[in-house]
Amino acid sequence: MNLPVTKAPAWHGTIAWDALLNGMATGLFMAGGVSELAAPAIFTPVAIVAYPVALVLLLIDLGLLVSDLGDPLRFHHMLRIFKPRSPMSVGTWCLSIFSLPLTAAAGLSLLSEIGINFEWARILAVIVGLPFGFGSAAYKGVLLSTNAQPGWRDARWMGGYLTNSAILIGCAELLLLSALIGRAQATAILRTAFIVLLVINTIPLGLLFADLQPTHARLYTHGQQWLVGVLMFAAATIIPLGLALYSDSFPFVVGAVIFLLFGSWVIRFVYVKIPHTSLI
Amino acid sequence: MELAALQQASDQPRGRLSELVERLVYPFRRGEPPEPRPATGFYTDTTVCIGCKACEVACKQWNQLPSDGFIWSGNSYDNTSELSATTWRHVKFIEQFGEGSSAERGSMDVTVSDHNRWLMMSDVCKHCLAAPCHQACPTGAIIHNEFENVYIQADICNGCSCCVAACPFGVITRSNMGGHSHKCTLCYDRQRDGLEPACAKACPTQSIHFGPLDELREMAHNRVEELHRRGVPEAYLYGDVASDTYSELHSFYLLVDRPSVYGLPDNPFNPWLHMMGDYVRSVAGGLAAIGALLVVVVLLRS
Ligand code: SF4
Ligand code: SF4
Ligand code: SF4
Repeated sequence: MNLPVTKAPAWHGTIAWDALLNGMATGLFMAGGVSELAAPAIFTPVAIVAYPVALVLLLIDLGLLVSDLGDPLRFHHMLRIFKPRSPMSVGTWCLSIFSLPLTAAAGLSLLSEIGINFEWARILAVIVGLPFGFGSAAYKGVLLSTNAQPGWRDARWMGGYLTNSAILIGCAELLLLSALIGRAQATAILRTAFIVLLVINTIPLGLLFADLQPTHARLYTHGQQWLVGVLMFAAATIIPLGLALYSDSFPFVVGAVIFLLFGSWVIRFVYVKIPHTSLI
Repeated sequence: MELAALQQASDQPRGRLSELVERLVYPFRRGEPPEPRPATGFYTDTTVCIGCKACEVACKQWNQLPSDGFIWSGNSYDNTSELSATTWRHVKFIEQFGEGSSAERGSMDVTVSDHNRWLMMSDVCKHCLAAPCHQACPTGAIIHNEFENVYIQADICNGCSCCVAACPFGVITRSNMGGHSHKCTLCYDRQRDGLEPACAKACPTQSIHFGPLDELREMAHNRVEELHRRGVPEAYLYGDVASDTYSELHSFYLLVDRPSVYGLPDNPFNPWLHMMGDYVRSVAGGLAAIGALLVVVVLLRS
């Protein structure tokens, strides 16, 4: 008898999109918030565009999360208790609370666009939202690594990578928005930050890759392992880094962000699929 | 008495709004927890199992679980294949016919070699003392009931599947019908009425023992000693005591081969032992990125 002992949960491609959208929403809010708080004169015009975008991304993400339940009409049952030992409970509470200041920040940002300015309230919403946005990003990897599934159970750096990657993705989105609305100084600063964060992100990604090396070896042939590794590092790191370093012109910024998002999705998709691909 | 004169116990029909409000509110209501009772469980002696599947059938019948269809699994006499949302007891058949065995020689006489044997095991939820499914469940649907059995409150579960991912034994399963997770209840309804579980009651060889855990453990240790005396030195108990990485099981087994032979993990590991470290790494990864972003913004803003 050489059958798998564990049962794979019914988490498929939706969860890979969820992991990406979670990073995009929380990362954009945090990158916008941190930048705005540190240099309001430069970043406020970009941040007030970022918050509504982050809200839209979060709403899509929450829609995916709810639709992936076996009984979506019972989503609110998640909120009947708070259970610190359950990463899903921690994540649900963080996301639910985070959605409130994010909605406030997004709404107040839109109001400021039409001349109704409650800047203090928006700043307050951002400050309140930051820890919950961080929690919403940080739980996801722990949810995937704290279980009995082959591969996932060995992925000690899943959380480290996903949280780090969320900030990187958020910075990339902010850079794109900044370039789109023509904020030259913000774009220049964010491009530098993007390059630095890309380099830093190779550390948790490398550690996660090392954690999962035995799993890769079990699931893929030698050639496929190389392909997966090259695809991940090239799409998520090397190509965006090359494009960002080569030029600060708009097409290169767009290219770098698109490659980063694509590479980040590939990584999430490959790793979310591990239990379904496993032979034992 | 006329049937119509009896008091009606069913709920009054509700309007749509009232139904919606009830749906939203009722999961938040709390009842009085029952008084703790002596912890109960199963001790399954696989050496006397004859693979009759009476336990499987009794479980299906008592719990009104649907049939799994007529599927030829191709695996010995097994036709339900695994524990699932509709199969809470599963009898495993392990054929051990060595090289040169009568089976390989094409002979019908399978008794000629001492090395040929058929292991049978009635598998079920292990009702772990520190159950990963219970730790994972974000709705609180999974509880330890007053008998210290791991029980899913079916009206609370929302089918998030965290328990499925967490169970190291591959027991708990999300159903395609209704989308909720199901597994053995240890016949909670029967226990509350002072009855033993249907599967244990039906077992004709007393392979499945049900009772207070301390009694079961004593019985199991005596049986292991007896088997050792009678020339079965490989007999041992699986899950009766906690290991470094896993709690004791309230449904434990007497086995005569490695756990993996029976489709059980050799060294079960509770994933929650890693959780704090994983959170630390997750937070560190995020803080490192925020710190770097902040440093760049502060350095370049002027
Ligand atoms: S065997 Fe699995 S489903 Fe049963 S109590 Fe243990 S963790 Fe939960
Ligand atoms: S599927 Fe149901 S029982 Fe399992 S963790 Fe989710 S809510 Fe709890
Ligand atoms: S205890 Fe009850 S629910 Fe559990 S396997 Fe036996 S008959 Fe089925």
